[in-house]
Amino acid sequence: MSEKLYGIIAKVMDIPINEINDNSSPETIPSWDSFNSYILLDELETEFKTEFTIDEVTETKNVSDIKKHLKNHGIILYD
Amino acid sequence: MENNFEKSTRIAILSSFTLNGIEEIFKVKCAEKKINCVTYLGGYNQYNQEILNSESKLYQFNPDIAFLILDTRSLLGDLWYSPYSLDAKQRKEFIEKKFEEIKNLIQTFMSISKSKLIISNFPIPTKSNYGIFETKSKFGFQKMIATLNEYLQDFISNLDPVYLFDMNGFVTRHGENNVFDPKQFLFGDIKISLDFIPHLTNDLIGYVIATLGLAKRCIVLDLDNTLWGGIVGEDGFDEIKLGSGPPGNAFVEFQKYLLGLYDRGILLAINSKNNPDDALEVIEKHPDMILRKKYFACMKINWNDKVSNMKEISEELNFGLENFVFIDDDPINREFMKSSLPQVLTVDLTPDPSKHVKILEEMNDFNVLKITYEDSKRGLMYSQQKERKDFEKLSSNLQDFLKNMELKVTIKKADNFTIPRISQLILKTNQFNLTTKRYSLEDIQKFSQDDNMLIGCAQVEDKFGDNGIAGAFIVQKNGTKEWILDTFLLSCRVMGREIEKSILGYIVKTAKDSGVEKIKANFIPTQKNKPIENFLPDCGFKKQDNSWIILLNETFQIPDFITVEEK
Repeated sequence: MSEKLYGIIAKVMDIPINEINDNSSPETIPSWDSFNSYILLDELETEFKTEFTIDEVTETKNVSDIKKHLKNHGIILYD
Repeated sequence: MENNFEKSTRIAILSSFTLNGIEEIFKVKCAEKKINCVTYLGGYNQYNQEILNSESKLYQFNPDIAFLILDTRSLLGDLWYSPYSLDAKQRKEFIEKKFEEIKNLIQTFMSISKSKLIISNFPIPTKSNYGIFETKSKFGFQKMIATLNEYLQDFISNLDPVYLFDMNGFVTRHGENNVFDPKQFLFGDIKISLDFIPHLTNDLIGYVIATLGLAKRCIVLDLDNTLWGGIVGEDGFDEIKLGSGPPGNAFVEFQKYLLGLYDRGILLAINSKNNPDDALEVIEKHPDMILRKKYFACMKINWNDKVSNMKEISEELNFGLENFVFIDDDPINREFMKSSLPQVLTVDLTPDPSKHVKILEEMNDFNVLKITYEDSKRGLMYSQQKERKDFEKLSSNLQDFLKNMELKVTIKKADNFTIPRISQLILKTNQFNLTTKRYSLEDIQKFSQDDNMLIGCAQVEDKFGDNGIAGAFIVQKNGTKEWILDTFLLSCRVMGREIEKSILGYIVKTAKDSGVEKIKANFIPTQKNKPIENFLPDCGFKKQDNSWIILLNETFQIPDFITVEEK
């Protein structure tokens, strides 16, 4: 299921899926700017049919944080 | 991808908030219309600096069209939250000050750039912290913004390169609660949520289409299940669905909407597979039919394939295929049209006729920057044209026909009334156009102030009615020895009646009266202007180097069957 998440990130950031891991962040992915992070949020909300709080959005530092927030919304990604 | 762009344009977008993504959507949507657009997105909330500094990147980019998209929050600042911290008089002063600022931006932009400027008005919020008392407040929160919108509209109504985009209307149409997403706003100062940027872009492209003169001119309609429900050949005259109750009222509604487009200058035509007698009986005699025969510039009701019919309509009306919109309920006919004649814009109707009007309303393909008197009378002129053709068939030869047409040409100087139409002709006329030089409305206005230029037009009337202004010319007075015919054109609507000779006759006479010895003209051939190829030699011009010269000491023969007047 992580694959679905990685697929969305790869699409939004326009990079190959195999370059993404739990530690991927704006520091490691140059195209991950503030605007793209919003697009990513919007895509995730649509794809996983959920809505993040503004705190979750601002606290997200890397892919691992995204997984944590998804889990809090009851979305479990099996590896 | 095959590069088949027909037009190219430079678009600048300035905004008081985050509008990332709009450039990409512009490019895609323009490409769909075969427009190659180069875009420039101003820095975040940098519009003031960009407009006021003549050295800015905006002016270096040199746009053809600039959009200035502002929003009410940026306008009001903290007053957005507490408008009633000011009293009514101060609120009015605040709005007047803001209007002056925007006016200054517009005037500065116009003084530096030749670009068109499209400025958005301000969405009026539906909520106020005065609650239900808002509507009782003198010059209240909502009234402030409404007033500014009015000031803006009044100010730009006479500025030809400036247009207003009705952002308030856009937000109303889609709903404030949809367009504005608080999280996107707080997170990224996105004031038009990402989902609505494509809709916004779609509306803005209406201005691009209008500026490039790509507006569609004629809607070609199928009959069965398009203008009425059912199939007249099978169901019969009494059984087709057309009338005051559902579902027949959907078709009446659609016809009324089309009539509204006809009234502003969009031509209507029919391309339908029917027995002509069955179809004409409905068109002329059905009590609930809105679009009678007289509203159609051309009717092809037969069993031929629709593509051949479409080509014939294009030839008869003398418009290129790219000017047509094709509307048919049958997906097979639509596919056939799309694959055979991709230049025609084929509209995908849904099987539900109640949606027909909305589909047309959302198209931005009929936008023009100015609607002239000629536009509003175009439908009528075309039905008169049909009568002229019938008369031509009756006349035994062309000379007799022309003599009996009672042709009258009125030459008018460029003034506030004629300049919009002159500009329209200069931008649109391809066939009978000597140089196909294109000048904007603003160019013509500037030329008309210049004593060294003679700019005029010709209104053409005949026994069947008024053809409106159908010819235009620009002459450069190069001293008194030699005048240069910079632009000379005639609308295809009045071609073949020697109107051109009487217009040239006027120019020759005016030149002679001013003591000029010769007139010099150039013919610049294009793919489309073959009809004017022999005009200069036919009028007695002689080739000299790469130009054509006529000496004015000889008599110039004007057609004796045309009455010429000067106004």
